[in-house]
Amino acid sequence: MSKKMKTNLVAYSMVLPAFLVVMLTVAYPIVTAIIQSFQDGETGSFTLANYTYFFTDKAQRNNLLYTLYIVVVTVVIAIVVAYLLALYLRFVKSKISKTIGMLYLLPRFVPSMCAVYAMITIIRDSGLINRIGQLFGVDINLGMMYHASGIITMNLWFNIPFAAMMIAAGLGGIPDSIIEAASDVGAGKLRIFWTMILPLSLKDVVVAATFVFMSNVSSFTTPYLMGGNAPKMLGIALYDQFNRYMDYNRSAALSVIMFLICSISAAVYIYTNLKENDWEK
Amino acid sequence: MKRKKGTSLLALMMAGVLAVGMAGCGGSGNGDSAEASASGESGDSGDKSTVTIWATGSDNVRQVYEALIEDFNSNSDYADQYTAELQFMLSGTGTQSMTDMLAAAYQAKQTDTDYDLVDVGGDDLSALISRVGEEAFVKLDDSKIPNADRVSAQSSLAADYVQPYRGTTVVLAYDSETVPNPPQTMDELVEWMKEHPGRFAYNAPGTGGAGDSFARTSVYNFLPEEAMTSDDPSWEDQWDEGFQFLTDIHQYMYTSGGSIVYPNKNQGTLDLLNQGEIDMCPNWADMVLSQRADGTLKDTIKITQIDPAFTGSLQSLAIPTFGSNEDGAYAFIDYMLTDAAQEILVKDMAAIPLVDTSNLDMTGYEDVMNLDVSNFRIMSIGDLGTDFNARWDSEIGTLG
Repeated sequence: MSKKMKTNLVAYSMVLPAFLVVMLTVAYPIVTAIIQSFQDGETGSFTLANYTYFFTDKAQRNNLLYTLYIVVVTVVIAIVVAYLLALYLRFVKSKISKTIGMLYLLPRFVPSMCAVYAMITIIRDSGLINRIGQLFGVDINLGMMYHASGIITMNLWFNIPFAAMMIAAGLGGIPDSIIEAASDVGAGKLRIFWTMILPLSLKDVVVAATFVFMSNVSSFTTPYLMGGNAPKMLGIALYDQFNRYMDYNRSAALSVIMFLICSISAAVYIYTNLKENDWEK
Repeated sequence: MKRKKGTSLLALMMAGVLAVGMAGCGGSGNGDSAEASASGESGDSGDKSTVTIWATGSDNVRQVYEALIEDFNSNSDYADQYTAELQFMLSGTGTQSMTDMLAAAYQAKQTDTDYDLVDVGGDDLSALISRVGEEAFVKLDDSKIPNADRVSAQSSLAADYVQPYRGTTVVLAYDSETVPNPPQTMDELVEWMKEHPGRFAYNAPGTGGAGDSFARTSVYNFLPEEAMTSDDPSWEDQWDEGFQFLTDIHQYMYTSGGSIVYPNKNQGTLDLLNQGEIDMCPNWADMVLSQRADGTLKDTIKITQIDPAFTGSLQSLAIPTFGSNEDGAYAFIDYMLTDAAQEILVKDMAAIPLVDTSNLDMTGYEDVMNLDVSNFRIMSIGDLGTDFNARWDSEIGTLG
């Protein structure tokens, strides 16, 4: 008993530092933010007004829908492109695929600020594309700056390599032998894909999608530098409440709303991770 | 059984952590002053030869202060008597602001701190005065600042307590290639906008002082002059006409992606101007001129002031009563008004000098000489600025 107790104590004391850090820097602020979001800024009494504001005010509701629109489009395009890229890298063995395999992770190492400014100088109405067009006498105005399309393009730049990396890792885990076995018994390429590769990699696809979703809901740099005045993405709307209007209670409420949006995808992530595939049992 | 014990131990720990956390925060009401006192008293307050100067702002303010302090410590008349030190707080980094720290130190009745001399101006000054009052500062004795005679500009607030040393103002920046004859008045500017839709932009208020100045002066041009320096909320009722004006000119603003856009930050409009996507924008004189001198802006970009003018501000120095080196502070103020210091301010940050420029080397900054500090329109509306930005965001920003 005492020996086991000791081992337990040692174990807990090893966990304790990490546990304390998490409690103080994550759990505690979350709790206070939730409390603050239900308080009136002046009197401190209980109110739901901070929440209703974000769903009844027209501009704020548009911000919410705009954010969801951008995030969903980003997730769908990023995952489709990343999946195709990952398939190519996994199943095509050539010099080109090897080169792409080395290069596609490069964007992960470019600081986001530099990447955003680089994109701006290319797509803005007086940018690189416009100037190349002018050499041929065409005035190309993409109109992507201060527009959802610009933000989505930038998001794809950030997220496709990330999603491809996760999916490629999943695809790498599918042994060649089972694919060869299937084709030996006469399965076509499409059939192998639908009945074997896709089901086996679906989990990684879902996980990649949830990560892309979560990281984009709260994005700030890209929409701040490339977005318009209205509607705004929630990260910017939160910055406005916090830094410009100094309304800390509404800021807290918006944080909780963003937290809830993210937790939907977190729930999907946890569910997929816990659920064991039939063949894994 | 074991497992259960483990769980209860864990729960106990959790409770303990929460309790500690709560207690830590329960006392945070005094956090401001406690922090301020720590930083205030940790300096060498007993050493009379050291004078500590506190400044806040963008990085260019830090750079110019470092140059000034180096010059003060090595070349000035006071170099033998005092050593100046800089405490700089970068603005917009989300930490406690310098005004908060000063107000806290004063309200906590601290004495003998190292807040020997502070650099204040614009909104910071009005915020400080409304929070702690003029008496937080030493009433300046001009006999201890021989060079004060050389400066005629006066602060609009607490004039006896602060010494202005530089100015800056928002101006109309334009590309002289596409706009040979820039507008002289606000009416002419509006005419020009109507003739050239999409070629003018101002940055969204709250994201940079130039856009603030354009939007606020546009509204306050319809109000009596005294409203410019009042934080009385009753003036908000009279904003309607001005906001209607901003709504009317909205359709002539810069367009991208099929909708009207107000870029973020002063640099946002300046970039558009430099890229030729617009021909005119309001911006800070010092930003335009120093970037042009650095070669990051085209040479054809020039500045002019219109009538009624955009707002400008004077930056001043003040001596808190709770500092510890009053004579050293006076010495530094006096130094800041010498030709040498004023020239550093012009060269390093394109500031508008407050002394006679005939003895200064103004090469490359000739535009500055045309900006007369005596015509500066000063605006300080305190907390109304927050309401103003919120109203702009909901009425103008959403027009699309």
